[in-house]
Amino acid sequence: MSNAVDTERDTDTELTEAPSGKRTTGESDETVEEAWTDYRFDGDAKLDVENLDVWYGDEHALKDVSMEIPEESVTALIGPSGCGKSTYLRCLNRMNDRIKSARVEGSVKLDDTEIYDPNANLVELRKRVGMVFQSPNPFPKSIRENVSYGPRKHGDIEKGLLARLFGRDDTEEEYDLVEQSLKQAALWEEVSDRLEDNALGLSGGQQQRLCIARCLAVGPEVILMDEPASALDPIATSKIEDLVEDLAEDYTVVIVTHNMQQAARISDQTAVFLTGGELVEYDDTDKIFENPESQRVEDYITGKFG
Amino acid sequence: MPRDSFQAELSALRSAVVDLGETVVERLRQAAQALADNDREQARYVLEHDHEINERYLELEADCIDLFTLQQPVAGDLRFVAASFKILTDLERVGDLAMNLGGYVTGMSDEFVPRADLVAIGELVADQVEAAVAAYENEDPEACHDVAERDDEVDGLCERAAEVLLRDLVDRAPRGTQLETLLEEVFQLLLTIRDLERIGDHAVNIAARTLYMVESDDALLY
Repeated sequence: MSNAVDTERDTDTELTEAPSGKRTTGESDETVEEAWTDYRFDGDAKLDVENLDVWYGDEHALKDVSMEIPEESVTALIGPSGCGKSTYLRCLNRMNDRIKSARVEGSVKLDDTEIYDPNANLVELRKRVGMVFQSPNPFPKSIRENVSYGPRKHGDIEKGLLARLFGRDDTEEEYDLVEQSLKQAALWEEVSDRLEDNALGLSGGQQQRLCIARCLAVGPEVILMDEPASALDPIATSKIEDLVEDLAEDYTVVIVTHNMQQAARISDQTAVFLTGGELVEYDDTDKIFENPESQRVEDYITGKFG
Repeated sequence: MPRDSFQAELSALRSAVVDLGETVVERLRQAAQALADNDREQARYVLEHDHEINERYLELEADCIDLFTLQQPVAGDLRFVAASFKILTDLERVGDLAMNLGGYVTGMSDEFVPRADLVAIGELVADQVEAAVAAYENEDPEACHDVAERDDEVDGLCERAAEVLLRDLVDRAPRGTQLETLLEEVFQLLLTIRDLERIGDHAVNIAARTLYMVESDDALLY
């Protein structure tokens, strides 16, 4: 745990790594069943997670997870409810910090920067690592304001009376940014003539793409998605899926989904978490769905349990 | 276990593929026997019943496509349905080749008796297909390797049979129209030998798909 940085350190747990992917925890002498997580890929890692543990109070929600996430690709996290996949996702932009009882140990590096460094700038982190949630959650504002909300907050866009007094008016920049973000989110053609309408008047699928546009407007490098299509109908779902694949050309996308066919369709690599917060297998998506190494993963994805 | 009806459909598919395999092996043995006994009636039976194999093959192929579409199998289930889908094609081809053998028997003349022992090869390839189908039924990787290894024997026998046949031709070569008839006989026999050799290859294909299905081992596919 040389790189480990704790939010609230409690050091009585020592984790040791044995060869061949088999891990044991020194804490309880209990042998964890074999795991296949030593995934090798071409290209660079965007995120490097090492020995990540999360507790909610006494509950050990995520156990010793190490995985590198390749840049500009789609990584799917699958597993039954309560397996820790959403917990893991939330660790990647420190959303768990907002949960009082949560305690995180281990290391998460974005490029080469440790995000759990006590001096890490959380605003900057969440700008670089954006998030899209299960239910679309647009602000009760206009479509335009939803998209430019982040950049205005970050001070990248200044407009209004006060800005004009100081000789700055980014109205044009704002329009360009809104157009560009909505185009990237494949929503522009549907809303370009009603940017001042309230976002809550959009359909669920449009709202979700608006949330993606809002996320993109801030200029992230990584986009975390927590079941972004589970509340949508099949047409809206396929639009989100197309979008996710397009986004992976420029962004690193990490997506939690309960829909295994969705993971199979859109992701480049898949990580399977199983009950108890263990990462059991992580590999190319076709390998996971055609020929997984772990019998437990096989049983889970073929529907024999879970 | 969840997905009970799906599991039942998978096991029904397995039984159906094995049944088709047994029918195909039976036809092949009937054709080989017809060759041994110069029994044209038996040979015609094989010819006339090939359509049953084709129809059953198409039904089971449609069942596989339904399973892919409706159940979207993954992992071991996916490998099973995909292997079955491929094995069905091999079985249907073996049925066609058994029919060819029957066709040869109905057309062969009574005068020319080749010294090459095609009946023995016919029986051997029937054994091979039977063993491959049993390996599939029992998910037995070792039996898959056995089938692949024995194919060398089939190839060797076929090669020797072709050689014997050509030597026959040279030894017995008459002149004029008789030569033409003999050449036609020999040509048909060479095609038959090639067909038998191909049946052996289909048996290996079945074994190779089964091995991948059971152990994710693609060693026999290449």
